Amino acid sequence: MAVNVLIVDDSFSMRSIIKKTIKVSGLEVGKFLEAADGKEALQVLVNEWVDILLTDINMPNMNGMELIGEMKKDEVLKSIPVVMVTTEGSERRVQEAMEMGARGYIMKPFLPEEIKGTLCSILGEAEYEKKELDEGYEGGDF
Amino acid sequence: MRAAISDVLETMFFMTVQFSENRCTLKEWFSDRKSLFGATISFKGPLSGSLWLVAPVSALNEITANFLGRGKDEISNEEKRDTVKEALNMIGGHGFSLFGRKDTFTLGIPSSIEGLTLIENIQGDSSKNAILIVAGHNRLAGGVVVD
Repeated sequence: MAVNVLIVDDSFSMRSIIKKTIKVSGLEVGKFLEAADGKEALQVLVNEWVDILLTDINMPNMNGMELIGEMKKDEVLKSIPVVMVTTEGSERRVQEAMEMGARGYIMKPFLPEEIKGTLCSILGEAEYEKKELDEGYEGGDF
Repeated sequence: MRAAISDVLETMFFMTVQFSENRCTLKEWFSDRKSLFGATISFKGPLSGSLWLVAPVSALNEITANFLGRGKDEISNEEKRDTVKEALNMIGGHGFSLFGRKDTFTLGIPSSIEGLTLIENIQGDSSKNAILIVAGHNRLAGGVVVD
């Protein structure tokens, strides 16, 4: 199943490299969407369905942590898995991001395998969770 | 910082990195000072200050082409500036994580600065502490200024 990916980073070079990395990873992508900061990302999310969101932390206007916070307030957006792709690697920062609801954390500089591994793992879990929900519904649990 | 520079330039830009122990000034290190691109980024934490990186346009053509997977002739100046900023951002973040993961350093937003202006601003002791980088066939320089 093709997935829609939203890449949020204030560096367009970094957005390009992440996009290229995902392309060569073999992941079937329906649409690549991009945003330069958290505010732009929220605007994209108003109009587009996204299966996974990759975001930097350190950005102007609205940073990655604030973006997760805003997404958590929305019933639909809070279900979208978020992966932090960032230079900020202190233990406290990683823990903070995971507590906020991030599903994965990739440190820059990264190897293509790290992006692929993290996305496949998270999307695999998401698909499994979706299947469980679907099966629950069909099984008459509701 | 040297380990972070090596890791970033080798992993993200596919360049072999060496460091020069030459004691020359930054102006002597860069023969063509008119075409330098620079970036700075502030940091706060147990120590505060800023990091800087300077690269000539010839190096940036190669670095950015490697980074974006495109031909050297297809790279715009804006993309070159963005690459220097992002390289410095990664060097800073990676450097601090190598330095001690339990201490939280907060990086600012990287900003572009004209390379010649930057090296003229790096004076005195800071200039002596500059890290002279040879990446592939290119000369770069970077350093840390502690407040």
